[in-house]
Amino acid sequence: MSNAEAQGKAEKVPGVRFYIIRNILKDKASGGGVGPGDKGGIPIEAIQAAEAEFNKMAEDYPDWVQSLIDELSENYRRCIDTPETRHENVATIHDIAHDMKGQGGTFGYPLITNFGESLYKCTHKSEECSDNLVGLIKAHVDGMKAVINGRVAGDGGEIGQELLASLEKAIEKYSADDDQD
Amino acid sequence: MADYDFGLFSCLVVDDSSYMRTLMSASLRAIGVGNVKTVDDGGQGIDFLQLVTSDPMKAGMQNVDIIFSNWQMSPVDGMMLLRWVRRHKESPNRFIPFVMVTGYADREKVREARAMGATEMLAKPFSVVNLGQRLLQVVNRPRKFVHTNKYFGPDRRRNQKEIPPGKDRRKNDERNIEVVHV
Repeated sequence: MSNAEAQGKAEKVPGVRFYIIRNILKDKASGGGVGPGDKGGIPIEAIQAAEAEFNKMAEDYPDWVQSLIDELSENYRRCIDTPETRHENVATIHDIAHDMKGQGGTFGYPLITNFGESLYKCTHKSEECSDNLVGLIKAHVDGMKAVINGRVAGDGGEIGQELLASLEKAIEKYSADDDQD
Repeated sequence: MADYDFGLFSCLVVDDSSYMRTLMSASLRAIGVGNVKTVDDGGQGIDFLQLVTSDPMKAGMQNVDIIFSNWQMSPVDGMMLLRWVRRHKESPNRFIPFVMVTGYADREKVREARAMGATEMLAKPFSVVNLGQRLLQVVNRPRKFVHTNKYFGPDRRRNQKEIPPGKDRRKNDERNIEVVHV
């Protein structure tokens, strides 16, 4: 049965229909040389080449992420200057943080992932944009700047721990202030 | 174990971050994938898949073998693209392997993507090895597709374990199961 016929048939379903699909990709990748019960792999040289490419890109990561940090700073500044559009800026910050939390670790900057994840969580509800939240956003942006300006790769050793500890302190401070409000 | 050659593979990478697009396409090419196209969001992904069908010369590929798509994008995100691929009548291939790349790691989100018919999930941050593993998973362990009135996508039971007596909640018996070979 052709793919088109199968798709046409898929419009009406009696109960359950199973589609057993011929493994064309395995044939393509092995030239028919890997049997139905067998598995193929990726040549080690190919993985090494891909890792080299990956590492080359990771070297440029700090410059690239700087543009995201600038965007965060700009949105933070707008939170201060124009409180009436604050929820929009917090929503933008939330989206940027989502991007950063996924990328930092990939390029050898897990601290950016830590900061990004924390910022993502605390900006989850963009309608709640108190002054405390704005202060907390600033603490995150400052931490990220310190990581990138200092090229604090990996876990960052002592400096990394200090940066995370100061973020924890900021979270405690602003959460406590919120509780008092 | 024999080594694969992905030179004849055509992959589509969908990501709104130019950096991630470059990273993903460069890594796939380095692993040996012959043809990689990148687009900026789900909407462009749909346009490209339609172009491959209508004008493969212009698209630069005859077909798309695997889609690697970021989840969170705007205006059309990865889930909307996946829904279109799996359910839309204009989809060129509703069975296409779809790898959802995402920073969402919580179980609920994974369940959501699986319920929409994602073939594999690739969590960010990822490494070249993680990317290669997903590629191999798609090639080495393809799953049959299941179509019910509520679901269309790869079989969500990866391991076919025997279900203990009385625990089988499936409502269909052999009389209303149809098997189609594609």
